[in-house]
Amino acid sequence: MTDLTHTDSASTDQEKSLAHKVLRKILAQGFDRAAARVSADELHELQAENGEINLLRTNFETEIGLVGIADSKRASLSINQVDDAALDTAVSDLQGMAAGSQQDPAFDIAQKQPAATFHGGIDEPDYDAMYDRIEDLQRYVSATYPTLNLRSSGITYFKRRSCFVNSNGVEFLTSRGLYQVSISFSSRLGSKTSSMMYTGYNTLELDTPIQQSSNIDLLMRQSTEQVDTQHIPEKFVGDMVITPDCLMTFVGFLTARISDGPLVSGTSMYKGKLDEQVTSGLLTLHSRPLSDELCGGYWVTGDGYQAADSTVIDKGVLKTYLLGLYGANKTGLPRAINSGGSYIAEPGSSTFDEMVAGVKEGILITRFSGGRPNDRGDFSGIAKNSYYIKDGKVQFPIKETTVSGNMVDLLNSVDAVSTERLNTGSSLLPWVRVTGVTAS
Amino acid sequence: MRINEIDLKKYSNQFASYTELRLHENRSQNISLLNGDVVSNTRDTSGGVSARVYDQGAWGFCSNPDMGNEAIETTIGAATRNAAFLAKRVGQADASLPRANAEANSDFTSDKPTLSQESKIALLRELDTYIVANCPEVVSRQVALNSLDMEKKLHTSEGSYGHNTNTRSIIGIKLTTRNNQDEPIELSEAIGHRGQFEDVFTSAEPMFAKIDALYLQLLDKKEAVKAVSGYVDVILASDLAGILAHEAIGHTTEGDIVRAGSVAADYLNQVVANELVTLVDFANTHNGETLPVPVYLDDEGVASQDAVIIDKGVLKSYMHNKESAQYFDMPLTGNARAFNYTDEPLVRMRNTAILPGESSLEDMIASIDNGYLLMRPTNGQADSTSEFMFGVQMGYEIKQGKLGRAISDTTISGVAFDMLKEVTMLSNEMVWSCAGMCGKKQPMPVGMGGPAVKTKVHIGGE
Repeated sequence: MTDLTHTDSASTDQEKSLAHKVLRKILAQGFDRAAARVSADELHELQAENGEINLLRTNFETEIGLVGIADSKRASLSINQVDDAALDTAVSDLQGMAAGSQQDPAFDIAQKQPAATFHGGIDEPDYDAMYDRIEDLQRYVSATYPTLNLRSSGITYFKRRSCFVNSNGVEFLTSRGLYQVSISFSSRLGSKTSSMMYTGYNTLELDTPIQQSSNIDLLMRQSTEQVDTQHIPEKFVGDMVITPDCLMTFVGFLTARISDGPLVSGTSMYKGKLDEQVTSGLLTLHSRPLSDELCGGYWVTGDGYQAADSTVIDKGVLKTYLLGLYGANKTGLPRAINSGGSYIAEPGSSTFDEMVAGVKEGILITRFSGGRPNDRGDFSGIAKNSYYIKDGKVQFPIKETTVSGNMVDLLNSVDAVSTERLNTGSSLLPWVRVTGVTAS
Repeated sequence: MRINEIDLKKYSNQFASYTELRLHENRSQNISLLNGDVVSNTRDTSGGVSARVYDQGAWGFCSNPDMGNEAIETTIGAATRNAAFLAKRVGQADASLPRANAEANSDFTSDKPTLSQESKIALLRELDTYIVANCPEVVSRQVALNSLDMEKKLHTSEGSYGHNTNTRSIIGIKLTTRNNQDEPIELSEAIGHRGQFEDVFTSAEPMFAKIDALYLQLLDKKEAVKAVSGYVDVILASDLAGILAHEAIGHTTEGDIVRAGSVAADYLNQVVANELVTLVDFANTHNGETLPVPVYLDDEGVASQDAVIIDKGVLKSYMHNKESAQYFDMPLTGNARAFNYTDEPLVRMRNTAILPGESSLEDMIASIDNGYLLMRPTNGQADSTSEFMFGVQMGYEIKQGKLGRAISDTTISGVAFDMLKEVTMLSNEMVWSCAGMCGKKQPMPVGMGGPAVKTKVHIGGE
């Protein structure tokens, strides 16, 4: 046990040594294939609630993930204690879990690849900068938006050092540190309250004030407007301009359905659609965990493969599934070269203003609060922090408005993509206009 | 070192100001069968020590997975320094919190020998085999076990002490068929119980009737029509009442949410519901029955009390942690709970329920000319405006007092205090759910309950 201040180095020597030790123990238990991942996390969080800085948190966490395959039976387990007794109990439990399971030839571990070390981000938190940015935001809000209540605002410095090894000789060492900024707020004027809004972004620097980062200032200004909401005039079927804040709510239906579970079960609407048109041709979506445009990516997949950037949808055509090793073996389809996420969508040719100007009647939606869509893609939910559009102009913030449709149809109905994009550090996305949505 | 071997009271002399010292371990398990194949066979254990220190209105927190003596001392020291760091900048000399001194111990782990993985998988396979044999139109099936044991030992500088272990086991079943357009149609059920697998899933047979009912509804749903969107009369079946209590009213009346601007701040001691409605967040027991998520001592060392939120239609109180109770000058309720050892306690619901009425479900259906019977919730969300929503995966039209065609998945929404005033009938049954997981910065197991409710909501659809 050492002093609980931040660690000074991005060194992964300890994690590497422990990971190999765990791997040896798993193999000694009789497994014929094994993998071990050791992660050491460090978290420093400064948090304010209701406009007052009130919590400084320092967390340390260790996670040891064990995977063992014996006689084509697989088990996995994770613990966070590193002493020998805990490790011995874990591998013994792993053996019991696998022995009691069933054989499946699709279980496997990553094939041998050249060993590699990756390091990114920042190594140490700057408490003063974290404090100054939060305090600066509070001052700005008090002066600029007196009706806005910053329910919570926080800056977290998060660093993970990790080592992945397996019995095929794979060894990856990674370390990354970054800041995660998150805020939630609502506004209140007299007895009128706006909907809660929450947002955030990842960053490697704290030089830029929070209110000048991402689209924070726009969302706060809109919140103060949203104490005065109105019902839409009447039920209609029209357009929806989706902001980058909630675009993944809709695109996420597709990315979830091209992953292991739905494809292995055969319930995915995108089964058999590889290299076919699955969305409007205006949509191009990349998964780029290695992109320099983002700061929250990854280098190694969950299965232990070195990750690469991919294009998921190219002008509406599905170019890859997001299958892991098990899903690929089970379905006979290619394994994805990454684990998804870190999404970057290509910009379109319309400005945001032009997109809105082209709407006869519709909704500008910033947050969707709805039930999980079913496998067919039917969805319905409330358009929160959103606006009514009529005759090409944003009219007023709305209340109690339900939007309904089908995710598959919605993604096919995209008729405009904005030239502007929003970078949150973990994604880079445009505004998108869709048609045929029922609002009531 | 195991939690029960560690004496926390010996660290009392290291508490410089108000301090909560907590040992906390979560042990979870997942086994999933997809079309008969074991696709997940995993177990996770995460535990450690945390200290939270209050100094002149500022909180310092620190956690460490190492529960050794030196680590515990260092954790207390780091949390104390963190609080002092903030107190120096934002501290208010007169800041204080309500005091609490309580002791409670509980343990819901099984006395039976731990079953082998093989035995657990065998029970899941028995359910899977039953589905194959009895549900011929099912094209895909999932059977999964999820369990969570949460063990906490707490000692505070005010002398509160407790060692409490809550356990919960859930078997989830999802059936998928295909309609005439070859589209997937699915329906799922979560069978959750307080307790460990060894105590609550002793045999597969009691679950066969639930599979039969699920399958019959799935066949109805195959022919489902879309609901007509709008503001309509509905009966929320008793399995929906819990999520209604939780999402629609519960979140709106959590003390920290009220302080942050929830509309409930304006309605204390006012009529917010039909007088039929009484809503309580129970701490641990109701009518002599231990509830799904029994909490005896919260993570601030407060003895948990029932919080009567709405009494015969009148908003009477909120749920509190120490800070919100102080802010509103209200009694402590013991609602402060943390999910993981790395987490600080937040105001969380425990077992939130609408109390039953006197109507029969049949009479309630017969009273509606044009509306819907809604059942089987999915996910939900609340808002500071008291506007709530939750997903519904099964329902039927009601026409002239009789059930009609099934409807496909939808989302219902409303403004809680408007919806509650529209309540006109409550059924005489009380159904508890032990499968809820609430998300509010941290996840948290919650219990929910209630009767069938007749009211008006917005429904999504065509």
